[in-house]
Amino acid sequence: MPRVNDDAVIIGLGETAVGKLPGLTSVQIQAMAVHDALRSCGLSIRDVDGLINLDPYSFPNSMFAITLAEYLGLKPSFCETVDVGGTVTGMTMLQQAIWAIESGHCRTAVCVYGENALTGRPAGGHGFWLKNLMGGEEWEEPFGLQGMVSMYGLLAQRYFHDYGADEADLGAIAVSTREHALRNDNSIMKKPMTLEEHRASRMICSPLRLLDCSLVSDGGGALVLTSAANARRIGARMVRMRSFAMRMTHNTVSQMPNIEQLGMRDAGRDAYEAAGIGPEDLDMAQLHDAFTISALITIDALGFCEPGGAGDYIRSGATAPGGSCPVNTHGGLLSQAHIGGMLHLVEAVRQLRGEAGKRQVPNARLALVSGNGGIFSICGVSILERV
Amino acid sequence: MEDILAILPNPTKETAPFWEGCNRGELLLSTCEDCAQVFYYPRLYCPQCGSEKLGWRASAGRGSLYSFTHVGVSFYGPTWESQLPYTLVLVDLDEGPRMLSRLVGAGRDEAKIGDRLRLEFVEYKTQKLPYFSIE
Repeated sequence: MPRVNDDAVIIGLGETAVGKLPGLTSVQIQAMAVHDALRSCGLSIRDVDGLINLDPYSFPNSMFAITLAEYLGLKPSFCETVDVGGTVTGMTMLQQAIWAIESGHCRTAVCVYGENALTGRPAGGHGFWLKNLMGGEEWEEPFGLQGMVSMYGLLAQRYFHDYGADEADLGAIAVSTREHALRNDNSIMKKPMTLEEHRASRMICSPLRLLDCSLVSDGGGALVLTSAANARRIGARMVRMRSFAMRMTHNTVSQMPNIEQLGMRDAGRDAYEAAGIGPEDLDMAQLHDAFTISALITIDALGFCEPGGAGDYIRSGATAPGGSCPVNTHGGLLSQAHIGGMLHLVEAVRQLRGEAGKRQVPNARLALVSGNGGIFSICGVSILERV
Repeated sequence: MEDILAILPNPTKETAPFWEGCNRGELLLSTCEDCAQVFYYPRLYCPQCGSEKLGWRASAGRGSLYSFTHVGVSFYGPTWESQLPYTLVLVDLDEGPRMLSRLVGAGRDEAKIGDRLRLEFVEYKTQKLPYFSIE
């Protein structure tokens, strides 16, 4: 079972504006997120000797951590780029930082991701521009598959078949997530959404409509970690990663197993077991929601309800603001912005520090963050705790 | 038959026999001579046991519809508007492997999970493509 020690802790968080940030490059956006995160814990770049990032999806760059380190004026003793998959990358960055700090490679590390995915993608592009990035094109393009949404359409149609779910279940999480976004000033979406508006939105890849899709956006997020001893010395607010587990099952959609064999269930079980808790102990969950169907499958797999029960669980009010386990309190990828899931982790840390303002979950102590890259190809679950 | 547009593959040495098979009207699946695994897509090593002793076997071209999506937007610019909506399918071949393909022919709009599907090659420029239709 994967274990995480608590010798290293998260002490700072950074987040840039989201939406369109024209004129900014990905390295500049990441630098802004790093500086914002350092300000949040009273540190400067002179305190940083570890740097971990993910390069931009829109324009893949080799050695991007080195690019960012030079831009920032750092000469770190630990520096790497990590690419695992949506939000699992961010969790893995935290795990790498914890290992690097515990083993003495560095004392204070920043984990960061950000890019100009919206203003930087080619004109006329739909969704993330992932062409030739994920492999498998030879078995996808000749059949007309490009990008992510058509794969999730295939998954959603099968979910409907397996569980008798329908578009009202997709709409339920879209509406719940929008309610959270309205409490976050840094969200792209500013207006309430009704189930009727969801059902009337344009069909993209059946059964997924426009309002089932996340928001491609510019922006960035960052987290600062240091040793627990150093954190206590400088009087920082501390959050620790209590557990983290991942599971990879496939990459391309033709190799995708049946829904109940996707890796989220196993990753979740490992993460709960390592933390010694269950879903009933959580104060909130930040679930990777690139599409509405992603959140439904994740809610089922992480034991919030029986398989196929996500729609009813959401309609019970559990995931909404003030619910028993609010989901995506920042508005998620669906209604805040898709920043690779980095802001799911930033939001969990912000809530656990008690700094979430008008959307603060009262007395928040335990948060679950889930991620998946590709088409649930790699799944990850981490549990974060206020120290 | 619809007027099909397709992005043609760039076969590698290991995948050329698959695409050449398509041009002869055969859907070739990889088979492992050590563990008898039948798999798609072709690879240099058996994904079940790691063996390099691999062969080819022609599929009977029958399968069941695992899932489908009607694609309503073009990801390839205005020239693909003529294709919309087109239908992507995951087919569970009777030999075992799951395969992504495109559904063509009559009744496409009423496709249902579990429908029996039949292989139907569609020629585009220099390549016959292994698409499916409802049986």
